[in-house]
Amino acid sequence: MWEFAARSLNASTIFTIAALGELIGQRSGILNVGIEGVMLFGATVGFIVAKTSGSYLLGFLAAIVIGGLIAALHGFLSITLGGDQVVNGMGIWILGFGLTAYIGYPYTGPLGMERIPDLAGLSPFFFLAIGLVVLTWWVFSKTTLGLRIRSAGESPSVTEVSGVNVTRTRYLSVVVSGMLMGLAGAIYSLDYNPVWSINFLLGWGFIALALVFFSMWNPFILFGGSILFGTLWQLSLNPQLILPGVLSRYIWRTVPFIITIAVLVLMSTKWFSSRWGAAKPEALGLPYKKE
Amino acid sequence: MKLGSYEVKLEKKVRVTGWEATTISLLAILTGLALMGLIFLQDGVHPLTGYRAIFSYAFANQFGLPLTINRSIFILLCTCAFIVPMRAGLWNIGMAGQLYGGALVAFAVALALGAKGSQNPTLPPGIIIALMMLGALLGGAVIGAIPGFLKGWFNTNEIVVSMMLNSIVFWLIAYMIKEGGPFMGGGGEGEGFKLSESIYPPMALGGTFTIPIALGLAALLYFMFAKTTLGYQIKAFGLSPSAAKYAGISPHKVPLLVFILGGMFAGLAGFHYFAAVPGVYKIPLNYGDFGDLSFYGIICGLISQGNPLAAIPIALLFGGLTNGGRFVQGQLQLGYGIDYALLGVLMITLVAFQFFYRNTIVWKKMEREP
Repeated sequence: MWEFAARSLNASTIFTIAALGELIGQRSGILNVGIEGVMLFGATVGFIVAKTSGSYLLGFLAAIVIGGLIAALHGFLSITLGGDQVVNGMGIWILGFGLTAYIGYPYTGPLGMERIPDLAGLSPFFFLAIGLVVLTWWVFSKTTLGLRIRSAGESPSVTEVSGVNVTRTRYLSVVVSGMLMGLAGAIYSLDYNPVWSINFLLGWGFIALALVFFSMWNPFILFGGSILFGTLWQLSLNPQLILPGVLSRYIWRTVPFIITIAVLVLMSTKWFSSRWGAAKPEALGLPYKKE
Repeated sequence: MKLGSYEVKLEKKVRVTGWEATTISLLAILTGLALMGLIFLQDGVHPLTGYRAIFSYAFANQFGLPLTINRSIFILLCTCAFIVPMRAGLWNIGMAGQLYGGALVAFAVALALGAKGSQNPTLPPGIIIALMMLGALLGGAVIGAIPGFLKGWFNTNEIVVSMMLNSIVFWLIAYMIKEGGPFMGGGGEGEGFKLSESIYPPMALGGTFTIPIALGLAALLYFMFAKTTLGYQIKAFGLSPSAAKYAGISPHKVPLLVFILGGMFAGLAGFHYFAAVPGVYKIPLNYGDFGDLSFYGIICGLISQGNPLAAIPIALLFGGLTNGGRFVQGQLQLGYGIDYALLGVLMITLVAFQFFYRNTIVWKKMEREP
């Protein structure tokens, strides 16, 4: 039972870190629906670097760097060129899907390195995730930087007038957001499931994206949601551990996605938004051009 | 920005003419192909050799050409599935789920009517084929209706919902054809059952009968957008949902309607490849590849700017590129997945080129200061 719980928390680690990344970008007003693509880049590049160099550290660093770079590309398309963020995000996702399928293919198979040590089954990254949740909350609610990022996402023109460079703030948020997504991808491919295959994230990025809306842009709610989704995901992989003989494992695999849709619908209702307040960044998804 | 004695400025475009759009699209495709050339070079293949091999297999080879045409029709139907919601300002990335849904219902019809494997079906083949096609339309429509309905009534993000549905139906098929599900083929090979030979659909002019149907539907769609009230309402909704509301267009029904229509096109794509293309006639083990291929519908939709007739030659081009790309991998010893790489590179190039649909670069000669 503990083993199942630990695996679930390890899965939730990946959701938490990726979704925190998305949350940071969205707080500054930039929506990235290509989170799955950024994670695929992080997972694949991290895997290749770790496998060829034999160093986990280099693998994770490479994943963080590539995540930041890909997100910067999304930033360039969305902030500098002022394009439709949804279209750009889809471009990033399909770029990630297509290119990682190509560059990762020769590395198909297990990583073949000694596993990263765990604590009673819990990945060390789980504790990192908790730290990042607290840090993100602290930055957004207690620091000037957090205030600047939030105001860039709420009302960029007012922010600019009060002397904050919106473009620079948004770039900073987007790059940090991509670094976290890249890291989350590498945790998947180096720690959680160290076997490379084409498109092996199977929609984790999209679940993380949904989690951000679910969280009402609050890191603590996001963490709770991640644990829920991590547990559901784990249940779908090993249903026999908890409910032996109930439904096919393939049917279980659909459950996290069905719940995600249900949660999204719940959050979209008038009841939910009137009760919980509209926390959505006012300028989310809108391009900003300095006059 | 200053360049020599010129000043370079960006100006917002009010509208894009047909010629401009075509030029931008062509430039985008050429840039994408040139970038792909770098990947060929990295694999030690001269880009011109690579493209010559791809195109000659795809368009001038007696085995390659029919495959190219079948793929292109599949991509065209997926493009239409993307275009209809796109004209209403909505993003359908659920073509994969919708085409699987279409295939599932079409095969359910065949199963129910006893057209499995070597069995002899109870009804005449013509009726079964027609019912299977209707089933495919229905299956695609039902899967498509979900994000459309949720968008219209709850304003739920249609991108995430349609992506989730891709995964849901993907695993549903795995259950149906692999683990004790009713669609399992014989011998446990992990594929769906094969259709009974008597219901292999007829061929028209050497190709599958779905080819003229798909081309006709694309033309019909063009007509719908150009001439009908419905087309006008969809476009008006796409320009401004709130203004459309004041013009009496239901903000609930338009998303539902466009996603149902889109789903029907994708469902037909599922029927086309799994039930009408010679040599397939089943839900194959690699059905996931067709889901991936459906993403070319997004690219074609973006390049054609939502014009179903313009999408026909573009779908043909991409059908050829993916088919030829997969083929020359072995021949030229390129890395596996060159067709996937192409998908990614083209997509991001197109996204970057969207900029030119919105902005013009203006060169102005600066006055010399006296």
